[in-house]
Amino acid sequence: MVAAAYATKLMADLGADVVKVEPPGAGDRARTRGPFPGGMPHAEKSGLFLYLNTNKRGVTLNLDEARGRELLGRMAADADLIVHNFTPPEMRRFGIDFATLRQRNPGLVLASITPFGLDGPYRDYEATDLTLWSAGGLAALNGGGPGSDDLPPLKAFGQQAEFQGGLNAAVAGLAAVFARLRSGTGQHVSIPIRECLTAIMELAFEYYPYMGLIASRLGQKPIQPLDFLECRDGWIFLCCVEEHQWQTWVDIMGQPEWASLELFENRLTRAANWDALKLFLQEWTQERSVDELYRAGQARRVPLAPVSTMADLLASDHLKSRGFFAVLEHPAAGRVTVPGAPYQFAATPWAIRRPAPLLGQHNEEFFGGHLGVSVDDLAGLHRDGVV
Amino acid sequence: MTPARPLDGIRVADFTWVWAGPFCTLQLAHLGAEVIRVESAARPCVTRMLPPWPDGQPGLNRSGYFNQYNQGKLSLTLDLKQPEAVAVAKDLVARSDIVCENFAAGVMDRMGLGYAVLREIKPEIIMIALSGYGNSGPEREFVSYGPAQVPLSGMSSLTGYPNWPPMHVGISYGDPTGGLHGAFAVLAALWHRQRTGRGQFIDLSQQETTIAVLPEGVVEFAMNGTQPARDGNRDHGMAPHGIFRCEGDQRWIAISVRDDSEWQRFARAIGRPDLADDPSLRTLAGRKANEDRLEAIVTEWTGARSTDAATELLQRAGVPAFGVCNSQELAEDPQLNASGLFVCLDHPEVGRRQHVGIPWRMSDTPCTVRQPAPCLGQHTDQVLRDVLGYSIEKITRLKAELVVH
Repeated sequence: MVAAAYATKLMADLGADVVKVEPPGAGDRARTRGPFPGGMPHAEKSGLFLYLNTNKRGVTLNLDEARGRELLGRMAADADLIVHNFTPPEMRRFGIDFATLRQRNPGLVLASITPFGLDGPYRDYEATDLTLWSAGGLAALNGGGPGSDDLPPLKAFGQQAEFQGGLNAAVAGLAAVFARLRSGTGQHVSIPIRECLTAIMELAFEYYPYMGLIASRLGQKPIQPLDFLECRDGWIFLCCVEEHQWQTWVDIMGQPEWASLELFENRLTRAANWDALKLFLQEWTQERSVDELYRAGQARRVPLAPVSTMADLLASDHLKSRGFFAVLEHPAAGRVTVPGAPYQFAATPWAIRRPAPLLGQHNEEFFGGHLGVSVDDLAGLHRDGVV
Repeated sequence: MTPARPLDGIRVADFTWVWAGPFCTLQLAHLGAEVIRVESAARPCVTRMLPPWPDGQPGLNRSGYFNQYNQGKLSLTLDLKQPEAVAVAKDLVARSDIVCENFAAGVMDRMGLGYAVLREIKPEIIMIALSGYGNSGPEREFVSYGPAQVPLSGMSSLTGYPNWPPMHVGISYGDPTGGLHGAFAVLAALWHRQRTGRGQFIDLSQQETTIAVLPEGVVEFAMNGTQPARDGNRDHGMAPHGIFRCEGDQRWIAISVRDDSEWQRFARAIGRPDLADDPSLRTLAGRKANEDRLEAIVTEWTGARSTDAATELLQRAGVPAFGVCNSQELAEDPQLNASGLFVCLDHPEVGRRQHVGIPWRMSDTPCTVRQPAPCLGQHTDQVLRDVLGYSIEKITRLKAELVVH
């Protein structure tokens, strides 16, 4: 839904010829996820699908049918790379078997994004973004806080486990294609999403092997300010981890008397007394606007940030001047604004050359024109629900 | 013969620090590139000075944070305030394929190591700058710290419990997300160079790479002028969908019921066929309308069970479920230990410690972490002699003059 689609989007947006394969009928599950214009579900108007499949051609293929699996084999015969995020049980059901595919094409790279890997006790476990975020160790690092130990661990917005799996698959998958330049042969790359998450626990994981401690989401933070403060029209995230940043911030606030209290004399005591300090700070920030504080802080090198809303991002002069957001012209959904280039290449520009495909839009062009399936055979496959 | 790793023979001049940049070059090291970190003893990488440290004793080579994200790299110390050190850095660039840096925009230029200069030294160089705000635009020189990237990118405004303030996500998420996008961009540029012989400059903004993974939020606003409300662990397309308390202190399990047939299996698995038959819960719409009641029922069931028992029972019914793992559970997890994720190598100052190694596997060109993270300046002599071809006399002089420091 997201992981493989994002990996191949990264490639398609830089010029790779990506053919998206969906099951006939409902298509990719991302088509059901939205967001939809006016909140009205429509398989061709899901924002998530439209974003994840820019620059791809789209075909349908029923992999529960032997003829569907045979066509997949023919696709594999001249592909550089296949990226999928089927689970191991689905791989068996759909015949995604590297040894077999490799016979068709010794240069093929198969990138298998799975929840827990291709082997081991959890191999066949069912998973979602939420269960992987938990299994990978990240859920344990967020949620609750002082006085709120009863609240559950909290996931990050969206499908972040899948995005991380997709990013790792893009890196490892492209590297395997690169390796082929030298070796001449392809290979099977396994990307377990859970492991991709354990790999980004910042300093939290190492507390255990280094100190025998378990990082906790609960209790006070060790240093402050590093927290959200309410303003007149929204929120800022104040970040004063260095003494000079704090002193500058106190100066910006006009040197209030309470700032010289012993309770707040260094970043450790500011953390220990954060409940009190936050009240003082917020009393002042609540009378000011997010933008005013952001500009004032940044002008003096305090690394504070606004808590950007989606409206803020789309209106941001900075992002506008970088030309970040892109507009798709889609035959069913119309004009849709999406996040654009995540990096700017000087010589090989990122570009949207075509919007996401309609379901099965390129069946004739690809199966007929590219794989050489005859018009009659294609009609038969269509009639029998294979494509 | 050991098969070649994908990036064998590729050299990276690594001017990065903190997390985003080092995470980018970590991927390149994992893939077989020779990554040479250019460090400064006067201003060591921030993560060298952060915990955890064995026995709580700080030391520039003792940080688990640094040692985690710099595995497999070499360390060369240079005092880049001195012109001759800049000349050494240029010699390194002349012998490298990739330059990676994550200072604020303009810093490399001011050190005399901007792309315009480096391109003169080596026209086919690939240079990536990973910065908080990118290399252009009115905010390009703003200060950007990892924790502040999460709110800046919009993630905090979308993350949190219902009717609560915006929340963090627990890590400086923009850093690894930017780093991975950066590693992919570098590989794409290498591919391009392979075909054309041409290098290029890549401008990566962490803010933008983080917005890139928030499409549901951005597109909702772009389409409908509304922002998705913070909704805890719930999901608009699945219910129940949450993290529920289990037996024991701070034990939790994540459970997702993806569709109506899964709901039937779930209800029966928890011994509540009455719920399976309840018409008000048969459809997603019904379960969403009754989600508070539903979550109370699930909590009642999970609360009397261990995470393991509940996970196993639900998985047997084909329902996605898994315990919320903490670092100890991950460190001891049988699957992660068998898969090859963890790496324990001898480090001169911290000994053998468990680190998270490479999270993916390649069947024919296996990649491994070849050496632990470097001590500060550990490879200075080796790099000056073997990579740059300097004479012993020159190396001795550079050291005496503290150019190499």
